[in-house]
Amino acid sequence: MSPDRVACERFLFEEARLLDEARFEAWLALFADDGFYWIPSHPEQVDPYGHISILHEDPTVLRLRVARLAHPRAYAAAPLPRTSRIVGNVMVEPPLDASHHVVVRSTQHVAEYRGGDHHLRASLNTHHLRQTDAGWRIVLKRVDLIDAASPPGLLTVPL
Amino acid sequence: MPTVTDLAALVEPHRVHRRVYTDPAVFALEMARIFGRLWIFLAHESQLRRAGDFVRTRIGLEEVVVTRDASGAIHGLLNRCSHRGAQLVAAESGHAATFVCPYHAWSFRPDGTLATIPHRPSLAEGFDLRDPANGLARVARIASYRGFVFGNLAADGPDLETFLGPMTLAFDNVIDRSPEGEIEQAGGVFRQEYRGNWKLHHENANDVMHACYVHESSVAAAKKDPRDYTTPAYDLHQTHTQLLSNGFTLKEWLATGLWGRAEGHSYMGGFYKSGVLSPERSDPTWLDYRAKLVARHGEDKTRAIIGLDRFNNLVYPNISVNAQYQQIRVVQPLAPDRTRVVAMCFRLKGAPDELFRRSVRFLTNLNSPASMIFGDDMEIFERCQRGFASEGRDWIDLSRGLGRDRTLEDGTLESDGTSELPMRAQYDAWLRLMERE
Repeated sequence: MSPDRVACERFLFEEARLLDEARFEAWLALFADDGFYWIPSHPEQVDPYGHISILHEDPTVLRLRVARLAHPRAYAAAPLPRTSRIVGNVMVEPPLDASHHVVVRSTQHVAEYRGGDHHLRASLNTHHLRQTDAGWRIVLKRVDLIDAASPPGLLTVPL
Repeated sequence: MPTVTDLAALVEPHRVHRRVYTDPAVFALEMARIFGRLWIFLAHESQLRRAGDFVRTRIGLEEVVVTRDASGAIHGLLNRCSHRGAQLVAAESGHAATFVCPYHAWSFRPDGTLATIPHRPSLAEGFDLRDPANGLARVARIASYRGFVFGNLAADGPDLETFLGPMTLAFDNVIDRSPEGEIEQAGGVFRQEYRGNWKLHHENANDVMHACYVHESSVAAAKKDPRDYTTPAYDLHQTHTQLLSNGFTLKEWLATGLWGRAEGHSYMGGFYKSGVLSPERSDPTWLDYRAKLVARHGEDKTRAIIGLDRFNNLVYPNISVNAQYQQIRVVQPLAPDRTRVVAMCFRLKGAPDELFRRSVRFLTNLNSPASMIFGDDMEIFERCQRGFASEGRDWIDLSRGLGRDRTLEDGTLESDGTSELPMRAQYDAWLRLMERE
């Protein structure tokens, strides 16, 4: 199966839209059950267990995170940060192994605003996608922040 | 500079004046009389394995480079070139045979002595490379408690062990949990800043009652999760357990205990009895680990080590030790309204990898910029700092439990989990230290 760049791009754009519209439940549904959302603490990080990450969670933990964001007294995220993002430089790599995952690399700029504070979250993203009967599912979303060593403020909403 | 009378007017038994958090003159005096005179944690010896290894950290407003020299000795060097005063080391940690200043290439050995200067013929007559004044300025005293390295800017005063007093137990307990009696710092370091005063961190860390309110959103999310985590996995699903553990009920408030010392130290107990963060487990990994501990310590001592029921062990002014999960947090003041929190965990040598993964996960859950727990604490610290700017009212209350504290034989104060005793102990120490000329 040869990966279709336009289809992959469309998937990323739709994901971006869900996040910017704070539709986190719908975003969560894009993940495969065995999927992971990972924000490493440095760009060369390969081990998410023996070394700290900013975030490394599967859907069972992400569900807690999304439920918390919906709570009226999640103080660090109340009011919820507003975001607006651009996803670009999308490149698709063909499946390299038997997993048949399509690897999609992209560049992302997220403008985040909350309570008078503006942050620009810039990252190089990598999605590992699996084709299912229900459409593409995220097996891994890796967000390598350019300031992963000390991102300003709190990272409350998914990037 | 505030006078002794000014200072005494800021602290009463049941309340403190907002100036203790906001006044730059008070902050400057804290840097001189608290951070300038107490033992401050610098690094763990495992971060300085080889000669030339270094870690950059702080004592109050001083940047300190902690190094190991060729003889194995550990030094605390002020991070300032002795020539034109430029910051010498920019990396957080690393390895260097010599530290070369980027400005005019003066180079210094890990022991702080001046090694070389380019173009010697132009040096002033009589300039002596061996003169200590031409080497790096240094932290007056360096001492290690079982591998935990501390520095003290004051040449005189109590030694490290006297300073730590009964809090040595917290460090002992981290080490005793290793089947080989050795630990190493590993897995990375979190560094985060909040826009609030440094004292807010320790006032919050042993304030049991805030937990179910500040952390209500994450407790609620975990409670709604239908799955059963009676024996949580060592890494991923520990998050659920940790979120849940802040859901104190009135019964649990009363079942926890708080202990405070006149030196400002305090600890929380009774936290692990609630069953949420149980000290013992029954899975094969744990039983294998436990058997190794029994082989080293015997059954009775092993039970005591694993069962030590102290959650946050606060060493005044700025360390929090969690022994069960092998981690420490260090609070670094940057300005009256700006603070850095540095957090790291330790690998128990000889223990299964799963235990280290658990420490990494615990550290991440509490200290990541994306933490679902500490993020809410930091938001509250910042709200407090904003509230302290109000001139409408000067006093901050810390009276809960006042008059109900019990004094134990060794002078330790004891109360149940509803008390604000740890904050009062911190201000007892604060005032005594600040009033000393």
